Amino acid sequence: MDALFQAIYSGILYGSVYGLMALGLTLIWGSLRMLNLAHGSLYLVGGYLAWTIIDRLQLPLVLAFLLAVAGAALVGLILQVALINPLLGKAGWDSASLIATVGASIVLESGALLIYGPQVKQMPTVVEGQFKISTVLISNQALVVIATAVLFLILMSVFLRTSRHGLAIRAISQNMDAARLAGVPARRAFLIVMCISAALAGLAGVLLSSIFYLAPTSGFVPMVKALVVTIFGGLGSVKGTIWAAYTIGLLEAMLQVYLGAGWALPGLFLFMIVMLVVRPNGLFGLGEVRRL
Amino acid sequence: MLQVSDLQAGYGGSQVLHSISLHVQTGEAVVILGPNGHGKTTLLRAISGLIQPTGGHIELDGRAITRLEPEAIVAAGVVHIPQGDLLFPEMTVLENLLMGAYRSDAWGARNKKLEQVFDLFPPLAGRKRQLARSLSGGERRMLALGRGLMGKARIFMIDEPSLGLAPLVIEQVYETIREIRRTGLSILLVEENANHIAGLADRVYLLEAGTLVREGTADELLQDEALLAAYLG
Amino acid sequence: MIQDQRLSRHEAPAKLSRLQRSAIPWANPNWLIIGIIVLLAVLLPWLTLRLAGGRFITHLIITFFVWGIVTQCWNLIMGVSGIYSFGQMALYAVGGWTTGTLALHYGWNPLVSIWLAPIAAVVAALIIGLPSLRLRGAYVVLLTLAFHELLRNYVVNGPTIISGGGYGLRDVPKLGFEQFGGGWEILLYYYFGLMLFAIATYAIWRILHSPIGMAFRALRDSEDYAVSRGVDRFRFKLFVFAFSAFFTGLAGGFMTHYQGAASPSLLTFGVMINLLAMIVLGGWGTFWGPIVGTAILTVLPEVLRSAEAYRNLMLGVALALIAVLAPRGLGPLVSQAVHKLIDRLRRQKESA
Repeated sequence: MDALFQAIYSGILYGSVYGLMALGLTLIWGSLRMLNLAHGSLYLVGGYLAWTIIDRLQLPLVLAFLLAVAGAALVGLILQVALINPLLGKAGWDSASLIATVGASIVLESGALLIYGPQVKQMPTVVEGQFKISTVLISNQALVVIATAVLFLILMSVFLRTSRHGLAIRAISQNMDAARLAGVPARRAFLIVMCISAALAGLAGVLLSSIFYLAPTSGFVPMVKALVVTIFGGLGSVKGTIWAAYTIGLLEAMLQVYLGAGWALPGLFLFMIVMLVVRPNGLFGLGEVRRL
Repeated sequence: MLQVSDLQAGYGGSQVLHSISLHVQTGEAVVILGPNGHGKTTLLRAISGLIQPTGGHIELDGRAITRLEPEAIVAAGVVHIPQGDLLFPEMTVLENLLMGAYRSDAWGARNKKLEQVFDLFPPLAGRKRQLARSLSGGERRMLALGRGLMGKARIFMIDEPSLGLAPLVIEQVYETIREIRRTGLSILLVEENANHIAGLADRVYLLEAGTLVREGTADELLQDEALLAAYLG
Repeated sequence: MIQDQRLSRHEAPAKLSRLQRSAIPWANPNWLIIGIIVLLAVLLPWLTLRLAGGRFITHLIITFFVWGIVTQCWNLIMGVSGIYSFGQMALYAVGGWTTGTLALHYGWNPLVSIWLAPIAAVVAALIIGLPSLRLRGAYVVLLTLAFHELLRNYVVNGPTIISGGGYGLRDVPKLGFEQFGGGWEILLYYYFGLMLFAIATYAIWRILHSPIGMAFRALRDSEDYAVSRGVDRFRFKLFVFAFSAFFTGLAGGFMTHYQGAASPSLLTFGVMINLLAMIVLGGWGTFWGPIVGTAILTVLPEVLRSAEAYRNLMLGVALALIAVLAPRGLGPLVSQAVHKLIDRLRRQKESA
């Protein structure tokens, strides 16, 4: 019983953060048809910026976090303008965008390594303390993380569903030509999507590193898990991604609790392989897939 | 108000349009007839900016719109109802219509426009929350037209409104287009067959192999026996 | 009519224009130039081993041979055929571990077990390749990455025979060249590596300049059109997977015995990024690209040893710049320059 509760608690925690990461990836895929392999390093940017601001500038924590998220969005903007925009509309988009984002991620990660060194950093928490429900340890910070993540997921969903710009972003991913004919400015829309996506990744970095730790290699695994989530949810589908995030989070937690930590990642990958072969449109059939 | 001079356009290496010159006056309804594959769709796409012309000029109310991005051309008042509707499949009827009013100067008037569109297309009113991909052919055509009407159009360009529809539905669609025409909107319409354009078109152009081969009033061209044989049925 | 032999022998062979040459891609290689290159390659170690630090230089060249095979194979699958498979190192590892385990734990003669490496790799490639047949683009990336990660997990956490407690295989028997003494040992490894590299390179050259190579490019550039012209995409995709796996596995097997070890660090992303950089730098999708890129990136890190920490950073910058500015890589630039040089020399000779 305790094990189950532990699994559910961890699952919700992971799911919330993966949701943030995966949402950004799926938005970029939907509008730009690009796999942004620099996403993990944007997670790093958020985490390290927050740490630096707190450590050097001694600003209040919440302010530092907000600035870090804004910083991540800024880096995303630079990435888009410098690397992605020049490639738009040219042949070889698939390979060029892949290589460009890989290059960017290497630059950001080795930059983090050079500036901050390989030792892990501990992020100060907004709240202290923890409590127990039976034998399961729950830290207050973890609850803050869950609450913040859920809040932003809801905000994003509402934004995409009801606002004019959210509508435009969904329009681009569903039919680019029709969106342009409705007056949606393509390049500016891509830029906004990238900034939002980067901000979400940075937020995930800030949140998760406040309960675990931060190292130059920290961004990679969350990005890979976010990729798994986007496949499960169907590339390009916002609703599917959020459902999939919690499904994968729970799955991973269950694998960890019942089979041991070493089984979590391979288990997820196995599921991803099966999913790609059997239902590339995602568990809920909501994604679009360029199948044969 | 729409002036096209010497327009050249194509895809990749192949040129489709060769020196096209035409015009649409304010309040006019102009129809371009032509067989499939001869450049009708390319022409509209070149005007609305989805493809960049390789030569020539396009002016709307004296303003050059030749090499602008589609969003700027839409801002100038060009509404293009593309071939095949190009709806947003995962959005509802309502959301599709709202996208038609996306531009900031049209957004404010969206509720009023919605009323007008639902008046014009009653079947859409009953399907506000239905996803676009589950609509029938005729309903999709209505949605595409309705979406176009949500903006501030100065010229309304329609690409093959009869495509893929049953004859009865085609007649309904054209009746609606005639009603739109009566509101004073300028219309540029391309079609493959001329069955329904009587009563709508003021002038007709013939487009063959990327060139305009004939021009005249609707009456003139519709008297021509040879033409009738080629373009009707 | 019998041609006068003397006359026809004096006639210069018709010079093919570039257009004509590309119309018959399955031309024959220029045997003279190849002969010269091979001769140089055979004689090279005799020179390098005499230099100070010659052993290390020779070792670098052997490394170049191994990675040169892997990058050419990866380029064949990604650059030429447009299949974004990230499973290349997994195939390499399958090859290396197969022969390594057989030799280390089961007492096989390495000179025998090494030939099982390519076979194991091909089997693995078919397992990876089959599910990805129906997928395109990013989906293949994710699928192959998943396989790669699964293998890495197995190699690190799996049975001790394979994982060596997380350290991989150590003290793997070498190829038996030790008996000939120090200088000869590395020489023999050099020639073995050269032989593998030459065979692989030649095989790839032949494929690229054959109808099969054209089919690969057709599938990459416009899959639907290629299929409509009768290209059986499933067969071709499986073939390119298997073909590139064969030599990659062989390279992995050779390296394992040469170094006497197989480490899980081979399956980190750093290695994959390095290989990717070699292909991109040299020329994505070209024949010379991976060769040039591997040469540069094998030598450069040694030259820039002191700047180790900045190496990755510069690599990333280089990748990003190339993707944006010179997506066809440096190889085509080099080959263009070489062609211009040859043309200019030829014109000078003619006007003389």
